[in-house]
Amino acid sequence: MVDLFALALSHALLALAAWRLVLRDDLDADREAGRATGRRKPGTGPGDG
Amino acid sequence: MVDLALFLFAMGLLALSLRRPFLAVLAYLYVDIVAPQKISWHLLASIPISLITFLAAFGLWLVADDKRDSRFTLRQGLLVALLAYCGATTLTADFPVEAAEKWAWVWKALLFAIFLPLTLRTRLRIEAASLFMVLSAASIIITGGIKTAVSGGGYGALRFFVQDNTGLYEGSIISCVAVAIIPLILWLARYGTIYPRGPLVRLFAMALIFACLLIPVGTQARTGLLCIGLLGVLTLRTVRHRFLYVGGAAVLALAAVPFLPESFTKRMDTIGNHQADQSASTRLAVWAWTWDYVKDHPLGGGFDAYRSNRLVIETRSAETSGSTTDIETSTVTDQARAYHSSYFEMLGEQGWPGLLLWLWLHLSGLWQMERLRSRWRKRALAETAAGGDGGASQWQAPLANALQQAQLVYLLGAGFVGIAFQPFILMLIGLQCGLWSYLNRIEQPAGAALAARQSAPVNRGAAALP
Repeated sequence: MVDLFALALSHALLALAAWRLVLRDDLDADREAGRATGRRKPGTGPGDG
Repeated sequence: MVDLALFLFAMGLLALSLRRPFLAVLAYLYVDIVAPQKISWHLLASIPISLITFLAAFGLWLVADDKRDSRFTLRQGLLVALLAYCGATTLTADFPVEAAEKWAWVWKALLFAIFLPLTLRTRLRIEAASLFMVLSAASIIITGGIKTAVSGGGYGALRFFVQDNTGLYEGSIISCVAVAIIPLILWLARYGTIYPRGPLVRLFAMALIFACLLIPVGTQARTGLLCIGLLGVLTLRTVRHRFLYVGGAAVLALAAVPFLPESFTKRMDTIGNHQADQSASTRLAVWAWTWDYVKDHPLGGGFDAYRSNRLVIETRSAETSGSTTDIETSTVTDQARAYHSSYFEMLGEQGWPGLLLWLWLHLSGLWQMERLRSRWRKRALAETAAGGDGGASQWQAPLANALQQAQLVYLLGAGFVGIAFQPFILMLIGLQCGLWSYLNRIEQPAGAALAARQSAPVNRGAAALP
């Protein structure tokens, strides 16, 4: 019973995290810092994205 | 039912990785830590799930992921050197069959630690890897924590999902890892964006930390208690109200003693009285043997070289009754005793070159995290002073600090447990390499932006707005 609870809770949290990650574009390209080539925060200037 | 659920979960992760290749890396982290194929008895147990997830992680990265921001760091080079050296000692090992068995999992763990940083090229990926490592370990820690709270556990008696003494399912190892990840849990609860800061996240984090602290009680691994002590001291460095913290910790520790199982307090008493304890005396004897062994084999004897030891151990126990003290001496003969210390494990198995490489790998990690912590702390303060909210530079220093604390806790635990190549710790090293590489890469543009902001003649508060 305890094992089942621990497995269910941790796996539910892992699954939800995975789903949330799939929906986020900043998983593959940073919004915050940009690449070394100088990408900036969205809305801070030309060359966004 | 559990079998099917675990199978669907693993397959689901792999399916999602077709949309986002990085999910396959997370799937590998999960499979390697939880080992669902050991919990399952049919579906996952019948397929090489670890190999499949590794191939998916590496293959998808190779084919579908952007590699322009991937950097190869010095510490990954050290891991490559360690891998090559271990490969060489395996070929000339004292016990070729046993050495090959250990090599079979060590090379995979080292290879993944070399590969992981190449994929950690965004902030979210670093957070996601930390979260998956913590939640995967949590599946074992939650069950251990609840069982300890209910029944008290016992040395070697606390049963996790499987009756297995490998990976994180071994008592001393899970004790050390459970304490080591506490700083990471705190970081995720505070700076996480996948599960953003909030009352529910805080509640879960607190409950998980409590479970982590219960693991050394449940497994009665003395190493865990030492790790908790060290973490308590390390926390003093960052905690805001030190006196309050010390007072609170002392009160909590005193209040916890009556609730601890008697077998636990008895076992912990033997930390100071190691002569009466055979396990501790054996340890000292093995370490002395290893020291002598490397005098003749400075390049190491390959994995499992300890198998050739034969030890004669004298234990002494004193029993006082009234005014008389009886000292009882007994001699025990033992052989093929494991190292019970990662430092001696490295020394005996990989000799001086292996030990030095391993120490270099760890000490450079502590140094790198210290540099990141100090640099990004200053940057966060400077950004706040310049009128910004410092939001973009808030999370870096605390993460470097958490990874450093985790490593220090491990390095203490490693003194008493042979976990030099523990895959979870190698993942932690991969995470450090990824963070170091990522922050160094973004530092230039971020620094330039800050300088521009500071020298701007306009209202600074307004200039900081996006």
